[in-house]
Amino acid sequence: MNERPTTTDDELLAETLSAAMVRASDVLAEMSGRPIRISTPSIDRCSPDDVAHMAGGAEVVVVAVYLGILGALSGHALLLLEPDSARRLAGFLLDSVGSGRPVESEGAVDLDDLGRSALGEIGNVTVSAFLNELGRRSSLAILTTPPQVVVEMAGAVIDAAVSDVVGEQDRVLAAHTIFHDGEDRIHALLLVLPELGSLQRLLTASDPRLP
Amino acid sequence: MTSATAAGAGVRLIAAGIGELVVSADPATALVAYGLGSCVALAAHDARGGIAALAHFMLPAGTASAEAPVKFVEPGLDAFLEAFVAAGGDPARATYKAAGGAAMLRLAGGGLDIGQRNAEAVLRGLERRGLRLAAADLGGSAGRTVQLETRTGRLLVRSIVGTTTL
Repeated sequence: MNERPTTTDDELLAETLSAAMVRASDVLAEMSGRPIRISTPSIDRCSPDDVAHMAGGAEVVVVAVYLGILGALSGHALLLLEPDSARRLAGFLLDSVGSGRPVESEGAVDLDDLGRSALGEIGNVTVSAFLNELGRRSSLAILTTPPQVVVEMAGAVIDAAVSDVVGEQDRVLAAHTIFHDGEDRIHALLLVLPELGSLQRLLTASDPRLP
Repeated sequence: MTSATAAGAGVRLIAAGIGELVVSADPATALVAYGLGSCVALAAHDARGGIAALAHFMLPAGTASAEAPVKFVEPGLDAFLEAFVAAGGDPARATYKAAGGAAMLRLAGGGLDIGQRNAEAVLRGLERRGLRLAAADLGGSAGRTVQLETRTGRLLVRSIVGTTTL
């Protein structure tokens, strides 16, 4: 079952995430020339099975943007989208930069290189905004690896990242994330998988008084 | 779900989540583990006894818990074989098959090669117990769903590009 842990830590995480998404929204709006806004209506700590369920089921095919996390917070981050949502989200950027073609395909999961690149950039902006905000509040440096975009079963992607970090403590930070462009809404799942104790050290170092 | 179709009409699916094992003596069932990445699923089938068992291992070694008796290959293999015996299976005459252990992401810091280590732990663990795999689909970079037919012992391995049978 999902857990809503200690109020202080959860409130701090929710505030940090909310502030980060304002910054990420500004960046994406500038990149795309569209009034993109990102909201994160919920954040939970879940088991890997719960997260796969939230993604629609372990066998459901998703588009995943992966970034490794290095520095003061080590671990992994994933942005998971249904294939159709991924194509629409990539279109937010590509339709505006004059690529000359919509990001569509007849196949259920096909994404061309341009679409993958756009999604990688959106994932990079979204995840980095959260990590930068965590770093700003704790005065600690957090880095990310370049984004990778994979099309795979949700359970398999989650499993690959979770197995590498959690061991005995298999809890994943999962934020329901919505990309808004006017009336258009695209739902995604933002996952942060910190190594054991890594996130807690960062939260302890964070200054809750910072805006 | 698509898996219900794949199982065939009248076949009931019993799923093993991460760290779980499932056992069945009902020929109208199939045991399934969805969305394996670096995890490894181990199937045991005793054709004479009509017993099938499936474990969904997550990591090579660690401390077992009641909620997730086969989260770790060691000591989870003992729990897996005990459950198989308790259901009437004979480990010595059973057929073993495994799938999973993929590496689909280039993980930060090089990762821990969990998929490969899981696969090796299963192979070594079976060998230590005088058992061996009859067939396997391990490693690579593709996610897999496995489905063990209790009636036949066939292990269907699905990825996003197709299905193979072990």
